Amino acid sequence: MPVERISKSFKDVSMSFTINPLTSDLIALKNESAIARSLRNLILTDRGERFFNNNLGSRVNSILFESLDYITASSIKDEIETTIEIYEPRVELLGVDCNPNFDSNELNVRIRYNIIGIVAQPQQLSFALQPTR
Amino acid sequence: MPLVNFANLDFDQIKTSIVDYLRADSNFTDYDFAGSNLSQIIEVLAYNTYITSYNANMVSNEVFLDSATLRENVVSLARNIGYTPRSRKAARANINFQLDTKTYTSVPDQVTLNKGTVLTTSLFRKTNYVFSILDDVTVPVLDNIATFEHIDVYEGTYVTTKFTVNSLLPNQRFIIPNSRVDTSTIRVMVKPNQNSDISRKYRQSDSLFNVTSESPVYWIQESADERYELIFGDGVFGNKLEDSNYIEVSYLITNGDDGNGISEFNFVGRLTSSREATALSSGISFVSTNTASFGGASIESVESVKKYAAQIYASQNRAVTAGDYETLIPTIYPETESVSAFGGEELSPPQFGKVYVSIKPINGAYLSNNIKDNIKTNLKQYSVAGIIPEIIDLKYLYIEADINTYFNSNLAKSSNAITSVVSSNVERYADSSELNKFGARFKYSKFLKMIDDSNQAITSNITSAVMRRDMRAALNSFAEYEICFGNRFYVKNHGHGTHGGKIGGNIKSSGFTVSGIPGVVYLKDSPNNSLTDGAVDLMRLESPTESTVVRKNVGTIDYLKGEVKLKPINITSTLLNKGFPLIEISAVPYSNDVIGLQDLYLQLDISSTTVESIPDRIASGNDISGSNYIVSPSFSNGSLVRGEIVTRNGSSQTTGRVVSTTTTGTTTTTSSGSYGTCKCQGTCSKCQGT
Repeated sequence: MPVERISKSFKDVSMSFTINPLTSDLIALKNESAIARSLRNLILTDRGERFFNNNLGSRVNSILFESLDYITASSIKDEIETTIEIYEPRVELLGVDCNPNFDSNELNVRIRYNIIGIVAQPQQLSFALQPTR
Repeated sequence: MPLVNFANLDFDQIKTSIVDYLRADSNFTDYDFAGSNLSQIIEVLAYNTYITSYNANMVSNEVFLDSATLRENVVSLARNIGYTPRSRKAARANINFQLDTKTYTSVPDQVTLNKGTVLTTSLFRKTNYVFSILDDVTVPVLDNIATFEHIDVYEGTYVTTKFTVNSLLPNQRFIIPNSRVDTSTIRVMVKPNQNSDISRKYRQSDSLFNVTSESPVYWIQESADERYELIFGDGVFGNKLEDSNYIEVSYLITNGDDGNGISEFNFVGRLTSSREATALSSGISFVSTNTASFGGASIESVESVKKYAAQIYASQNRAVTAGDYETLIPTIYPETESVSAFGGEELSPPQFGKVYVSIKPINGAYLSNNIKDNIKTNLKQYSVAGIIPEIIDLKYLYIEADINTYFNSNLAKSSNAITSVVSSNVERYADSSELNKFGARFKYSKFLKMIDDSNQAITSNITSAVMRRDMRAALNSFAEYEICFGNRFYVKNHGHGTHGGKIGGNIKSSGFTVSGIPGVVYLKDSPNNSLTDGAVDLMRLESPTESTVVRKNVGTIDYLKGEVKLKPINITSTLLNKGFPLIEISAVPYSNDVIGLQDLYLQLDISSTTVESIPDRIASGNDISGSNYIVSPSFSNGSLVRGEIVTRNGSSQTTGRVVSTTTTGTTTTTSSGSYGTCKCQGTCSKCQGT
């Protein structure tokens, strides 16, 4: 019978590569923050960007340049949901809200999810997407 | 856990080994998740390792001639052992045309065809080709007609590149900027300076022999991107160029083998008289073609360079052994497809002091006498003094296969489809390098397997092989003939008393006429008691299945050596003519694996090979008991002769072949009739309705 591995915590390096002034060690991202960073990485990675893994990532960046309306918002919502379901096994997706803000030409994204493997409250990750080059 | 596999060339495996390392030794845990920062860092590391490994692998491969793949490196490595790869070769055509000067006010004494573009073609294979001459051709005007006969024209555009020697450039290189150059057409003229009227012709050299400090020579080497570099002397070997010297390099840019086979041309050249420099443009006749363009070849491939560089190095540019000749001839004559050389001492009777070379050109079957002379002249530079190279015509040994394929009709579209796929595979096999070379062997079992594997519906095949040679007849003169097959003949031996165990008819020939004997005769053999040799007789057909010997002992046959010799005989005509009168002689080989011995060039003759598809009624379930199974013979057909059957009364049968079955000494004959050569007797879908 295969051994079921249960992760007690998630620990990732921080891309800022700054040093913890107290321990003089590299700053690490743990649990909720590590997973939130992972979700953002996945959504903001374009397909074809990673070496030898053309499918990883989402088409969010390219869809953002479509005219801003509810159809585009719906497409981005679907894209985010698909990407997370395929590439982030540590979360159970509760819902994705994608609301266009026509005044500032941006999309307000809110992702709600549960973390699998550790005891944690339901999480919410919010950010705004803007078509910038 | 250390990282152990340094030579990995697979990105995923490199990444896995880094992840395994982190799994054992790291505080971090997110290496497994594609979105994590750690995963991104791992991928960058793995990619970096991958590129490093790839580069290391490429570098180590490209250092050796055997493993190098990039042309530039292969050529460079070959250069180290003194080998210059062959360039493209322009196709050559031979033409005639005339200029009628009657209409000119002043008739010139002579007319010059200026070097450069001379002919163009109309659209040929979707391209217009240009033909040029490399040097001016001047002919006299006789009776107002200037006749340009047998002019060699070369496919390609004639261009000139100029260089000025500059001593301020320490590493000045003279690289021809075009990549499709035929290096044999390069002409180099050097002037003291650009405005000088004096020029000196430099010649191409491929060694340091006979090169002095004053010799006007240059060497050529291939550099990057299939371009060629000219290297001039240094004042020790070859004349050294001086500052401001002006080099004019003229050459052809050619399409190589694409330019072969062109026979229709339009004149676009420039004709001038000795009196006036203006072009003579009227009175030019149509261009007639003596020889369509041939001999064009593409640049030597990387594989060929790798093969021949080592061999040329081994032969040290000297033709001593037979193998040396085989190596050198493709460099002298690039249109060589296959070559065989052997010493005259191997012949019977021995011819000491001679080396015999047979060459199969890429285009065509035989070499012209002109090309043979050229090759012999060039070989003299390499051969040992006192040894005379002789270039002999190819001797083809043909194999004719009679293929009967059985197929499961449930799995096949139609019998025609099976016949078609088998035929195309047989044709491909006939064109393959398995056969078309000297020293080739017809591998019977592989041939059968190739047929079986042609289609999943094919359940089996019955294939018989016959070997054939064509004997060129010297008409209306007494001549001796000797035809060697190089393979033992199969001798029929019925083992019963009717014919004393020997019945002859082991060889078959096409018909011919002989002085003093009325009608068409054929060759027939009669084995001796030993069944190792016998006599050859002339026979005449009374009917397609009955023959009468009209002259005995016209020759001998050696079944073991596979040799037929005819004593002096005056052949007056032959039924077959393939550009020359010939008699086809065929025999069943003792072993179905036929070899091309010495100078025999083995070929599978597609035109004489038959393919029939027969429904396998047992496999398809139509006739499980096999009661109506169509049987194919495993031996060749029982016709007495080859080709056209002409009987004594003059009747001729030209279609189909005679199929006979022998039953207790009585021969019953069945004409192939409307079923042609098919064994199905009208049952297969191909024959139904006929």
